[in-house]
Formats: sequence, C-alpha cells, structure tokens
Amino acid sequence: MSSAQACVSIVDDDMLVLRSLGRLLQSAGFAVRTFSSPHELLESRGAASPGCIVMDLSMPGLSGLELQEALARAADPRPVVFISGQGSVDTSVAAMKAGAVDFLTKPLDDGRLIGAVNAAIEKDRAAREAHAARASVEARLATLTKREREVLELVVAGKLNKQIAAELGTAEKTVKVHRACMMRKMQVDSLAELVRLWTATRSPATG
Amino acid sequence: MDSDSLARNRLAHALFRRRLPWPVPDWAAAALVVAVAYYLAAHLGFALTLKPHPTSTLWPPNALLMAALLLAPARAWWWLLAAALPAHLAAELQSGVPTAMVLGWYFTNCSEALIGAALVRAFVPGPFRLDGLRSAGVFLACGALAAPLLSSLLDAALVRWIGWGQGDYWTLVRLRFSSNVLAEITIGALILAWAGAGLGRLREAAPLRHAEAVALFAGLLATCLLVFDLPQAQNGLAPALFYAPLPFLLWAAMRFGAAGTASAIAIVTVTTIWGAVHGIGPFAGGAPQDAARDMQLFLIAMAVPMLLLSVAYGERDRARGEAREQRRQLTHLSRVAVLGELSGGIAHELNQPLTAILSNAQAAKHFIADKNAEPELLVEILQDIILADQRASEVIRRLHALFKRGDTLLQPLDVNELVADVLGIAQGDLVARSVAVVPELAVSLPAVEGDRVELQQVMLNLVMNACEAMSPATAPEERRLEIRTHAEKGEVLISFVDTGPGLAPAQYGKLFEPFYTTKAQGLGLGLSLSHAIVCAHRGRLWATPAKGRGAAFCIALPAIAQPR
Repeated sequence: MSSAQACVSIVDDDMLVLRSLGRLLQSAGFAVRTFSSPHELLESRGAASPGCIVMDLSMPGLSGLELQEALARAADPRPVVFISGQGSVDTSVAAMKAGAVDFLTKPLDDGRLIGAVNAAIEKDRAAREAHAARASVEARLATLTKREREVLELVVAGKLNKQIAAELGTAEKTVKVHRACMMRKMQVDSLAELVRLWTATRSPATG
Repeated sequence: MDSDSLARNRLAHALFRRRLPWPVPDWAAAALVVAVAYYLAAHLGFALTLKPHPTSTLWPPNALLMAALLLAPARAWWWLLAAALPAHLAAELQSGVPTAMVLGWYFTNCSEALIGAALVRAFVPGPFRLDGLRSAGVFLACGALAAPLLSSLLDAALVRWIGWGQGDYWTLVRLRFSSNVLAEITIGALILAWAGAGLGRLREAAPLRHAEAVALFAGLLATCLLVFDLPQAQNGLAPALFYAPLPFLLWAAMRFGAAGTASAIAIVTVTTIWGAVHGIGPFAGGAPQDAARDMQLFLIAMAVPMLLLSVAYGERDRARGEAREQRRQLTHLSRVAVLGELSGGIAHELNQPLTAILSNAQAAKHFIADKNAEPELLVEILQDIILADQRASEVIRRLHALFKRGDTLLQPLDVNELVADVLGIAQGDLVARSVAVVPELAVSLPAVEGDRVELQQVMLNLVMNACEAMSPATAPEERRLEIRTHAEKGEVLISFVDTGPGLAPAQYGKLFEPFYTTKAQGLGLGLSLSHAIVCAHRGRLWATPAKGRGAAFCIALPAIAQPR
C-alpha cells in the first residue's frame, strides 16, 4: 500500500493540536512527521519523499497561504491539506486555487481528515508516477543520436521510410537502420507504443 | 394608602379592559374604596375638631377626593364623586347639621376636588406623580392654594345663604380655606407620594434601610409625643421645642423621598392637633380659633419647604442614577462591540483546544479498535486532553471576567497581570493579523487601584486598535506591538506602541471625542469610553506619534503602594 511508505508532514504552531493530529493520523496507519513552524518544514527538505502536507492556515511568521507559495517556489510537489479555525470563503478559495487538495475547519472530523490525506497521498503518488514515467522516456530520448532523433520525429509524424529518406537526403536502407536502433533505444516494439510515449513527453506537466 | 393604590390599580385595570361589555364592576370597586376612605377621613376630621369650633382644623375628605381624582383618568371622576355622596351623608347627618347644609357642603367639597384636579391636570397631563419640582409646584399652587380658595368662597356664600354658620363671610372663608390648605398639603401629598412610590419598593429595600426608617419614625413619633402631647411641655421653652421635629423631617426629606417626608409631616400634624384637641401641648389653652390658626400656620410653614426639599433631592438622585445607568450601558455596549471585533479570535482560541481534544480522543479510539493501544500512549493522550480542556476553560474564564456586566469594583491590581490577561484574550487576533507582540514589563511594579474588567477593556481596546492600524497597512513581517510598563513619579505607565501608519497631527486632538473614528466601521466610542474609564481611575490616557512610524498610546494610573 502506497500510503504505508508515504509520509504526512503536519505543520501547526500549537503544540497540543500538532501532537493530537500526529496521533490521529498515526492511528489511521500513516507515517507522520510534525513541524511546529513553516520554517522548520521548509528547512527539512522533504520534497523528495512521497507524501503530503497538512497545515494550519494561520500561523505566526508565515501564513499558510504564504507557505504554500514558498513550497511552490522550492518546487516541492507535495499536495497540501489546509486546516483552519476560521475559514473564510476568501481564504479557502485562494487556497484551493493555489492547488490545495482540501480545506477543513477545526475541530476536525477524523473521517474527513483521513479521506483528505488519502486523496492527497494518492494525488502525490499519481503525480510522482507520471513524473517518473516521463523522466524515463526523457532519459531514453537522451540516448538517441541526432539522426535517430530526426527519424523518430518524422516517424511519429506519420511519414513512410521512403518519405523520410527523401526528406533527410539519404537512402531508405539507412533510414531503416536508424529506425531500428531508435526503436531499440526507446524500448518499444510497435509504432503505436512509440507514439504514446512521445505524446506523453509533449503533454503539459501534471502534479 | 394601600386602599388608594388598590383603587388606582383597579382604575388602570378598567382602562385596559374597556372593550369588555361590563367595565362597571371595576369602577364600582374603585368608587367603593373612595367612599369608605371618605367616610373614615370625615371621622378623622371630626376627631381633630376643636370644640366648639365649627370648622375642623384639618379637613381630610376633600384632600382625599382630590388625590383620588388626580390618580384616576378623567372619565372615572364622576363615578368617584358620586361614590363620595353616600359616605358624606352617612358621616355628616350624624352630626345634627341641617340636610340642606350637608348637601351644600357635599357640593363645595366636590367643587374643591374638581377645581384642583382639573387645574393640576391642565399643567401636568396624565395620572399625577409627585416626583419633580415642577409637579410639586403645580400641586401646591393649584391643588393646595387655588382650589381651597375658590371652593371656600363658594362654601362661605352657601353657609351664609342657608344661614347655618356663625361669623361673617370672610371669617368663614378664612377658616375653611386654612383647614383645607393644611389637609391638601398633608393628606393630599401623603396619598399622592405613596401612590407614586408604591408599596413594592418597601419590600425590595435592604434590611438596613428598614432599620433606618424604623429609627426615623420612632424618633419622630417620640419627639412629637413629648413636645405636643405632654402637659409638661407647656412651659417657657415651648417655642424652642417647636423645632424639635425639624431634624427628623430633614432626615426624611434627604433620605426617604416625598413618601417618607409626607408620612413624617402627617405624624407631626396629627400629634400636634391631637394634643390641642385634648387640651395638652403648646397650642392648648387659648381660644380655639386662635389655636387652630396657629397650628395651621406652624404646620403649613414647616410642611411646604420639607416637601419641596424631598422632591428636589429625589429628582437629583434620580438624575444621578440615570447618568450612572447610562454610563454602565455605554460601557457594556462598548464591551459588546469589542466582543464583536474579537469573535473571530475567540473562535480560534476555543477551536484550538477543541481540535486537540477531539483528535486525541479519535486517535485513542482508533488505537484501541486496532488493539494497538499501549498504556503509556493512552496516558499521554489523556494528559493532553486534560491540558486542552484546561486551556479552553481559561479562555472562557477570561472572557467571562471581561464581559460580565457589573458594578465597578475597586481593588489593588498588578498591571503586568492585566497586560498578560489582555494578551491572552487577544492572542487569536494577534496571530490572525500576524502581529508580533514585544512585551517589556517592569519587574517590580507598584500596584494600582482600579476595576479589573474596566482597565482590561481599555487595554484590549488599545491592542485591537493597534492591530487594526497595522493590518493591512503594514507589511506582515513589520507588524510589531510593543507593550511597556514602568513606574515613574508615583504613577504606573503602560504604553502601547504600534508600527502602523500613525495619525495625522490634527487627529491626535480629536481622538478621545465621542463618535470620532478613523475606522470605516467604527462606532467612535472605544477611545472616548476608554478615556472616561481611565479618568474615573484618576489616571490619564493620551496618544503621541511613535519614534519612527506608528502611534503610541499611554495610560498613566496612580500607584497605591511602593514596590518591595
């Protein structure tokens, strides 16, 4: 189960609330790390490990929304679940627009909190998987020679070997060799598979 | 008095129920009370008559009738006057007076009550209350002077025409006039004052007040009996002894209002006349007519100023009470306004411990359900629940102390403790507005004397103002509120320095005026009330520009004890 490895980072300046939320999520089977200030979270550099962040919206020093911006700047992809004692419509809209998974008001309903944390972790996992898949395609693309890359682009554009040879000003036989090398390096067996990988790298990033 | 206020209640009752088809029984009840009272009053008049003087020294029935009319709506007047007729006949026909004369007197008695009630009502509309200098003046001029005079002119003419009385016309006028003036001032004022004060007030009064009243009336009665109703008072000291009841009358006027004063005057009047009627006391011995005149002059001269004095005192006390109540209401209003401003912060302050309690309890439930609960963990959880609960109660306690409506309670206070309490209450708002508090509290401050709640309210007001000045005008990382306390020249100074945009020089002068506000949604009462509260503590509250940017608000309160 992915949530077993995933870690929930909780940020709240109120130690009593922080401990209670930590226990609640532990009791639901999550791995938990607690931080008593936004700066502690930023300094912990936990962006690499999967999971999500649960944080209070109003804290001294850096407000929750400001922390959310700081995380975005630090390229921390982890989804955020906001909790607040006094959720106004304005702040909740701003939080959700900035990509928060959920916005819960205190006192918290355990079912909703666990549901929100699960959704956040699932979102993180999907994003990380998509990211990993894309990274592996990018890595394979990086092994291609310049000519193989040209061939690939023309192949996925639907050109026949003959047309490619004409365009590149080379023999059709040479194109076939480049094409076989390219298919091998990209670890695909069919044209359809190649096209799928290629479009995945071209689609806008998610997560 | 009781029967009369009963009559008044009945009358009022009848007014409210006038849509019913049978309002008559209620009028009848009121009229019956007046009839019985009239009959008894006539007998009291006979009892206070100097024999063989034909006119009573004090004739209460007319005053009673006028007082009843003044308390009743005009549409009930004819019922009440009609009810007096059988009582009048029953009382007067026993005394051997010709029937024509008895009927004539009924007519003139009614005319006195009617003239007096109509004149008074022309100046003071509605049911009469003896509760101000104006109404007392109108009653004395119209009810106690004009009405007896006009009805006595009529009465003397009737007596001459029927030919029953002795003496010339003007003597008859003078005799009847003076006995009726005295009755209006004593009996009339007594009924009206008690109807206004009500018997309910007696039951509500504190035991100490009861004791004071008992002391006053017992002392007055003893003095009056000693001076007016004992034979040995007929010596050379007599004129000086007339002043003996005066201290008691002043006591009544200053402490017991119109009702107490009218009661005291009634005691003096009855004892004085009773003594003369029984041939004892300083007024006995001379010709009855002279004795009656002397007593009437003595009693009227004493009663009028005392009545006016009591009414004036009552009016002043009421005005003071109203001013006090107004200030109390304003203070409460501003507390409620501050509560409104605070409510977001309070919700946060309560939500934190509630969240901790709920999450801890839910965690424990999950651990136990999963058979995963180690005793140490459960103890930790319970310990945190207790802590959170204590914190929530502390929030409630502080709020309760702040918004409880009560009278000012002066006690020695530690200013640093007040500051800490106020910061605790404002914590939620300070955090929500990202304001960093920098307290610089002097270690050993002398105590100040004051009302905890009121001073906390002033400080809270200044803290909230500072928050609003800085948020959103100042960048979050620069929002700083410095709170300093220190002692200087017998005063404890508390200053609140913010890093907001400060105030224009012209604003500093107007800040403490009522309804002056720089806030879009402010009432403009906070600072003026704070100023009033600090001044009431013999302190000062002022504002200056802070060094750099922002504004500084300072409170100076007189210290009451030297630091150890």
